Amino acid sequence: MKTLLRNRKALVGLAIIATIAILAIAAPLLTEYNPAARTGRPHQAPSMDHILGTTRIGQDVFARVLYGARTSLMVGFGAGLLITLVGTVLGIVAGYRGGKTDEVISFFTNMVLVVPNLPLLLVLAAFIGQASPVVIALILGATSWAWGARVTRAETLSVKQKDFVKSAEMMGERQWRIMAFEIFPNVISIVGINFIGSVIFAIITQATLEFLGLGDPRAISWGNMLFAAQKASALSVGAWWEILTPCFALAFLGIGMSLLNFAVDEIANPRLRTGNRLGRWSLLVRNGEGRL
Amino acid sequence: MAFLFRRLAFYLAAFLAAATINFFLPRLMPGDPIQLMFSSAGAELPPESLEALKLTFGFVDGPLWKQYLTYLGSIFTGDLGRSIKYFPLPVTSVLGHALIWTLVLMGTATVISFILGTWLGVMAAWKRGSRFDVIVSVTSIFATSVPAVVTSLIVLFVFGFTLDWFPNGYAADPSLDPAFTLQYIASVAYHGVLPMVTLCTVLIGGFTVTMRNNMINLLGEDYIVMARAKGLSDRRVMLWYAARNALLPTVSSLAIAIGTILGGSLVTEVVFNYPGLGNVLYQAILARDYPVIQGQLLIMTATMLVANFIVDVSYVLLDPRLKAA
Amino acid sequence: MSEPLLSVKNLTIDYIGDETDFRAVDNVSFDVAPGEVFGLAGESGCGKSTIAFAISRLHRPPALIRTGSEILLDGRDVLDLDQKELAAFRWREVAMVFQSAMNSLNPVLRVEAQFYDVLKTHLGMTKVQARERTAEMLRLVDINPDRMRDYPHQFSGGMRQRIVIAICLALGPKLVVMDEPTTALDVVVQREILQRINELRRKLGFSVLFITHDLGLMVQFCDRIGIMLGGKLVEQNTAQAIYRTPQHDYTKKLWASFPSLHGGVLA
Repeated sequence: MKTLLRNRKALVGLAIIATIAILAIAAPLLTEYNPAARTGRPHQAPSMDHILGTTRIGQDVFARVLYGARTSLMVGFGAGLLITLVGTVLGIVAGYRGGKTDEVISFFTNMVLVVPNLPLLLVLAAFIGQASPVVIALILGATSWAWGARVTRAETLSVKQKDFVKSAEMMGERQWRIMAFEIFPNVISIVGINFIGSVIFAIITQATLEFLGLGDPRAISWGNMLFAAQKASALSVGAWWEILTPCFALAFLGIGMSLLNFAVDEIANPRLRTGNRLGRWSLLVRNGEGRL
Repeated sequence: MAFLFRRLAFYLAAFLAAATINFFLPRLMPGDPIQLMFSSAGAELPPESLEALKLTFGFVDGPLWKQYLTYLGSIFTGDLGRSIKYFPLPVTSVLGHALIWTLVLMGTATVISFILGTWLGVMAAWKRGSRFDVIVSVTSIFATSVPAVVTSLIVLFVFGFTLDWFPNGYAADPSLDPAFTLQYIASVAYHGVLPMVTLCTVLIGGFTVTMRNNMINLLGEDYIVMARAKGLSDRRVMLWYAARNALLPTVSSLAIAIGTILGGSLVTEVVFNYPGLGNVLYQAILARDYPVIQGQLLIMTATMLVANFIVDVSYVLLDPRLKAA
Repeated sequence: MSEPLLSVKNLTIDYIGDETDFRAVDNVSFDVAPGEVFGLAGESGCGKSTIAFAISRLHRPPALIRTGSEILLDGRDVLDLDQKELAAFRWREVAMVFQSAMNSLNPVLRVEAQFYDVLKTHLGMTKVQARERTAEMLRLVDINPDRMRDYPHQFSGGMRQRIVIAICLALGPKLVVMDEPTTALDVVVQREILQRINELRRKLGFSVLFITHDLGLMVQFCDRIGIMLGGKLVEQNTAQAIYRTPQHDYTKKLWASFPSLHGGVLA
């Protein structure tokens, strides 16, 4: 955690996510409008009354983007947690148990990896009908764990060979205890990377599914804002604020999450780090204090 | 060779899995599956057509396994039913026509961004810590973290609507007849610019980052150091020792990325009103045209599997250690 | 002692850190005479490999060779070479065998190609000429020249290391730096490789800078030995003296950790 806070990318990423989270929580304090209600004339440009304008049916865009952040964050982190949980459990069990268990789990993992995710989600969501954010989070959790399972399995295979695992086995420790208390803490960095990646994936995919019209249109979320704006041909009629607002919100959150992702990656894999030392190095070379 | 055969068997199993999902999904939903699947047609569907559709999707009298075999039978004979929205067109021709556009768009974008992204990744890793590296890395982070929907909409807004440099939709000028004429091809290229730019923007960052990280992980390897000690030129070490080897894991990550590329392509097509699978699918979703929605899963899966197989083959060609095995 | 081939003077190398630097090599000086085998011993992390890298100028940032250091080969300061001179110098004058036998060869290039790029770069040989030379070099290390079209993974660890040595000698270098050349190999293969190097050295007359943590092995193989501790060269003397009358406490301690070898035969 300390190393995370010393990494500049991680700090910026965390700051972005924290800002969005605070704005989402404080939404009722920041706007008086009900995000679902018609509070103005349709497609009004940004003004003092509606700082980010109104939608085609006269809802306040600023209120919608604030309240929508709640949905994006909740689906993102909820589904991310679910995806990571399934992936980690399957990965550790397959890697540690080996044999038939591994064969079966790996077979399914590889299968899920080659069935294209979005088309699969489209079919599921289409049959479920208008999928609420919670349902979207659940189907994401059920279909998107394969990558995490694969990398966790690979990591487990190498941890399994370590002495402390062997000695736990010798002492007759139960398998689930070894997996939970010996293996898991040692694959935690992979789990962390998996979690952040899954949150990004969940946020993007939820927005995409809703944009394609598979979400519950009553839910207030960034994806639904895009869907509504696209259906209202917001760009063609010049109501750019209706489309660009959720666009920038999504981009902002995505960038924040990715910065965090890269930071965790660098910390888990020190070879990728650049850091301050290269700057200091060039300075010393320029000052004639040394060379290569 | 044995490796490739094993992969083929696996792909067949994966395709079967997608078909199985299609088969069970409507039957697992609450209510009458036949009603669910074909109700969007309303009363417009002639009764004999409805009967044919029911047969295609395995809604026959008899136990579940018989229904399942019936459904598999129709799939493997290439019968995916008929579209309800575009009735009486068969699903295969609705999707098949659109697939060509998608493949052209997606294929070109993948090739361009793979080559460009890989090259940028190689250079960034080689000049690690330089200004070039910092700019490339940071830009890649931003490009990969923005959803395809958002990139598409912003590109459309800026270049399509605000600057009005490129058309806002369609794959070609609708007044032209599709033909192998210079005029038509030029129109296709002109209409393709924005979706292509969008897709490349979405994809390139991922390739860059993957290649950069693979390269950096390799640069400490003894054979790279030895290549430098041999007095080979930087260019030769970079391309023949570092990049050549870093390409292997990059190619295998390409296989997994194909799913994401497909997804990005679908969304981009919707935004740009491009006549590919994404757009057909979007219309199908709005109309709850289930035969088309199910058909796309099979066609997409098949596309993905073919692409994976191509990656497998090129992997075998690139890595001599696999050829022997 | 005659005019040294390699003369390292006041070599100081830092690894630049985010805030503080790590001094890997601290003011080290030693000479290697023509035809001599000089050993650098010490535990891992003592800076011996850092020195090896500096001799061919293989370091990358954040490693920094401090001003005031000199590495003279035949009287010419290696640290002053420009890029072009450096490219010509590497391998032609100083060749290197690296730590792991398994990883020194590029796994996706044929053995032949890994000879060819050296021969072409330095001698401008054509493919046909290079093939002839490759066969000759492979024969020198007892590897069937017919196998030059194989890939590295088709050879055993010992054979791979012999191939690396053959590539090393392809240009007839004056100095061969061997950085733990046999650590990854089993004892029998280890011996065989070292004997082979010794024979070739007598025949071809190059000097060897031999780096290992295995003092026992080193005493059998080297003329003179330097002992490194924490980046400093704490003792240097003939192999016999290091073995019989170690001066520095650390050298004695190193010997104490090899009880079984202490009664070993000296070459």
